[in-house]
Amino acid sequence: MAEKKGRILCVDDEPNILRSLSWLLQREFEVFTANGGEEGLALVAAHDFDVVISDQRMPGMMGSEFLREVRKLSPRSMRIMLTGYSDLQAMLRSVNDSEVFRFISKPWKIDELPAVVAEAASIARHHPEPDAVAGEASARASAAGVESLLLIDDEATLAEHLRQELGSALRVIHAQNIGEAVGAFAENDIGIVLSDTRVGDVDTTAMLRMLKQQHPGIVTVVYTAGTDAGEVVSLINQGQIFRFIPKPVKPAVLALAVTAAGRKRQQLKANPELAGRHVVVEIDADSKQAFSRNLDQVARQSIDPAAQLPFLQRISGGFKRLFGTAA
Amino acid sequence: MTPIRMTSLAGAPLAALAGNSGRFRLLPFFAAASLAMFLLVAGALWYFERQQGAFFRDVQNQQIDFFKQVQDDFASRQDSVARRDLLSIHEAGNVNLTRLFANALWERDFAPFVGKAGQISVDECRALADVPDAKDGKPKPSAEKKACFAEIGKKIAAFPEFAGLNAKVFEMMKKSTVFKIKVFDLRGITVYSSEHAQMGEDKSLNAGWLGAAVDGKPTSELTFRDKFSAFEGVVEKRDLISSYLPVLAPGSEKVVGVFEVYSDVTPFLNQIKATSADIRKAAADNQDKVEAAAVADQETVDDSGTRTLAIVMLLLLLLFAALFAIVWRAAALIARQEMERDHAQQQLAQSEKMASLGQMVAGVAHQLNTPLAFSSANIQMALQALARFALPLQVAGSFSRLVKATDADKVMVNVASARDRVADIDPADLDVQMPQAMLQDTLQGIEQMRELVENLRDFTRLDRTKTSRVDLNKSLHNVIYIARSVIPTSIEVKEAFADLPEMDCNVSQLNQVFLNLINNAAQAIGEHGTITVRSLVEAGRIRIDVEDTGSGIAAEHLPHIWDTYYTTKPAGEGTGLGLSIARTIVTEHGGEIAVQTRTGENSGTTFTVYFPVAA
Ligand SMILES: Nc1ncnc2c1ncn2[C@@H]1O[C@H](COP(=O)(O)OP(=O)(O)OP(=O)(O)O)[C@@H](O)[C@H]1O
Ligand SMILES: [Mg+2]
Repeated sequence: MAEKKGRILCVDDEPNILRSLSWLLQREFEVFTANGGEEGLALVAAHDFDVVISDQRMPGMMGSEFLREVRKLSPRSMRIMLTGYSDLQAMLRSVNDSEVFRFISKPWKIDELPAVVAEAASIARHHPEPDAVAGEASARASAAGVESLLLIDDEATLAEHLRQELGSALRVIHAQNIGEAVGAFAENDIGIVLSDTRVGDVDTTAMLRMLKQQHPGIVTVVYTAGTDAGEVVSLINQGQIFRFIPKPVKPAVLALAVTAAGRKRQQLKANPELAGRHVVVEIDADSKQAFSRNLDQVARQSIDPAAQLPFLQRISGGFKRLFGTAA
Repeated sequence: MTPIRMTSLAGAPLAALAGNSGRFRLLPFFAAASLAMFLLVAGALWYFERQQGAFFRDVQNQQIDFFKQVQDDFASRQDSVARRDLLSIHEAGNVNLTRLFANALWERDFAPFVGKAGQISVDECRALADVPDAKDGKPKPSAEKKACFAEIGKKIAAFPEFAGLNAKVFEMMKKSTVFKIKVFDLRGITVYSSEHAQMGEDKSLNAGWLGAAVDGKPTSELTFRDKFSAFEGVVEKRDLISSYLPVLAPGSEKVVGVFEVYSDVTPFLNQIKATSADIRKAAADNQDKVEAAAVADQETVDDSGTRTLAIVMLLLLLLFAALFAIVWRAAALIARQEMERDHAQQQLAQSEKMASLGQMVAGVAHQLNTPLAFSSANIQMALQALARFALPLQVAGSFSRLVKATDADKVMVNVASARDRVADIDPADLDVQMPQAMLQDTLQGIEQMRELVENLRDFTRLDRTKTSRVDLNKSLHNVIYIARSVIPTSIEVKEAFADLPEMDCNVSQLNQVFLNLINNAAQAIGEHGTITVRSLVEAGRIRIDVEDTGSGIAAEHLPHIWDTYYTTKPAGEGTGLGLSIARTIVTEHGGEIAVQTRTGENSGTTFTVYFPVAA
């Protein structure tokens, strides 16, 4: 047999799952298994893994905790989370703490999983590990100048709070709808995007995913009032969201996340190769269509004479907020 | 077998817990209390009304008495003043008369006469002893003494000048109001009387005489006589004024004798009496009027009292009716609100139940998902492996056909044509053990799913109203299995079971109790901790402990945890029904439920349930 494509660790409390995974992956990869978080960490310390796959729900150490530790111990390993149970809190934690590469739902598809793992393994092998360039990046950060942050939100207050919190560290550009956001992209070199999943009555997730496909170097922070686990999964797998913050958000928390995003942006800029670690799944045709529909809608709104009158526009925005429908 | 009263979980016990027993019954309480109060008030009013009437009567009687006294006093005063005036007027008249009389007669006629009479000694008569009067016991002159003085009178009357004197006196006094005249000498002896029989009488002890003779002062007295011998003969029923008047020697202040003059005041007195009678009559009339007015007043007062009482009673009754109506409305309103609240709470409880059911379903789904995941992956992989067996099997098939077709020990095979195809055969694909193991695991997965389904069925037993004889350890194990799929995996659930006798119970209800306790324990623990479920037999009873290493129950919550709807958890996480339902169910099984808790360091809670062992 030819050389294996990578070294992989699977962690689950259920031995049957581990067996099944190793049967699936052992043809292409060198597979290690562990029955729980502690055992897994011991293996991570001893071996150099390209990919670590973990179940979320385990007795003792939870999957998100385990992957967070893995990220510290072995930053170059790509992390994949297996989820069978839509526990949103755990998923958000794993996004923010362990910066997972993909969520894979149970039961997995036997032809997809090896492909994802192969992709992750090849990224791990061919792209530099983030921490190796971190020092270099921060050294260059000051030279790189002030980063621009695009805030997409239909309320003005958050932008104000954010400007106060961040001071001169980041330049905050505020877009009140997707149309403005698209415009802002055209005019500025945006490094960080901060967005609600809903702006007005428009779902922004499709746009955020599209954005990442086009510009892998952009770091995205999302906050949401929704509790849809599927949304989180698609935002991670297709949008490589950097941080996920549940509403209500405190400006300080947001500022912290944005500052971290700023650092990440510096790393990516310093080492564009690094963006390879954040490749996303190709967006399906449906989502693309939905996004262009949204954009059309926004475009039509901006043709509206009210667009020339910011005051009237704000009023119509208010109507939208109040009644949930376009006035 | 102990009889156990069974009720459906969602129905009766919940209603019983919501608790309408011992409710404050507003309307009857209000009606009874206020009616009693109103009656009391009415009674008190009636009593005071009566008291006031009596007081008013007393006051009026006092006033009447006083008025009568005043009138009487006034009348009698008027009478006595009139009499006194009469007396003094007549006395003055008598004094004048006596002066005139003395002036006319004393010097020439009486002085010598008195002097002559004075010669007659009275000592003899005076020496005679007095005898005590039969009536008042005072010493009175005896008949003998009187006779002795009468003898002296006779002697005086026998004086030759007497007839002339007497005639002059009569002449002067005729046609006057003077009825009688007496003359006393300074010894007190009656030396002259127009009633001759009285001459000689000794008046030396008489107060009138003494006043006139010794002090020189006139004294008068009003007397009534049935019979009186006057100048004109005997008169009957007369009011008289008798005056003792000193006779002064003309031109001097020297008393030389004493007159006694009787004058008739009968007409005056009659007038006075008539006036008095008039006044009295007027007074009596007034009195009658006052009394009549008093009676009328009393009636009015009593009347108005009764009317006031009636009006107040009526008003009280109206007030009572109004209040009753208000309270009635309020009671109806409260009842409706209570019903609505009950309804709302039931709905809340229902939606919470659905939520926790959803949670349980999600947990179970996840539990089911794990065997499902590996089983389906394994089957697909086994299928792939089987597919990979096709070519080797074909080769094996042709080979076996070849072997069967010939009897020879050696055959020539042209492998050139087959070389290409056989090249595709990977020795790794020929491993039969792996697909076997995959299918073996799948079988295990199916077994896990079956176990789950069985546990689910045991847990939710739809024949829930029936009681059955069970080993509680089994149902505890079942509950723990289900609970594990709902509570976080980081919480360890330990089983520490001792052998238990079987007991009659409603299994699904007891499952509910233990699931509630385990859920509470898990919620109190949060992330990491241990729940120990222990069973044992203690003092002839079955004892089940659910012990946790959670936060414990704060002292201020402890007395309330059994209350329906009492919860310390945020809305959406707890309804506060768990423990009250548990208690109801345990009580219905003739058991007991208790709690022990510790907060702070080494905190934790143990809920203990006791059940009687079936006989
Ligand atoms: N094991 C425990 N440890 C600490 N506190 C407890 C424990 N069990 C119950 N409690 C307290 O008692 C209260 C009442 O419990 P109960 O089970 O009746 O209602 P709940 O758990 O709040 O709501 P529900 O059970 O309807 O979801 C709880 O809110 C909690 O404060
Ligand atoms: Mg409870």
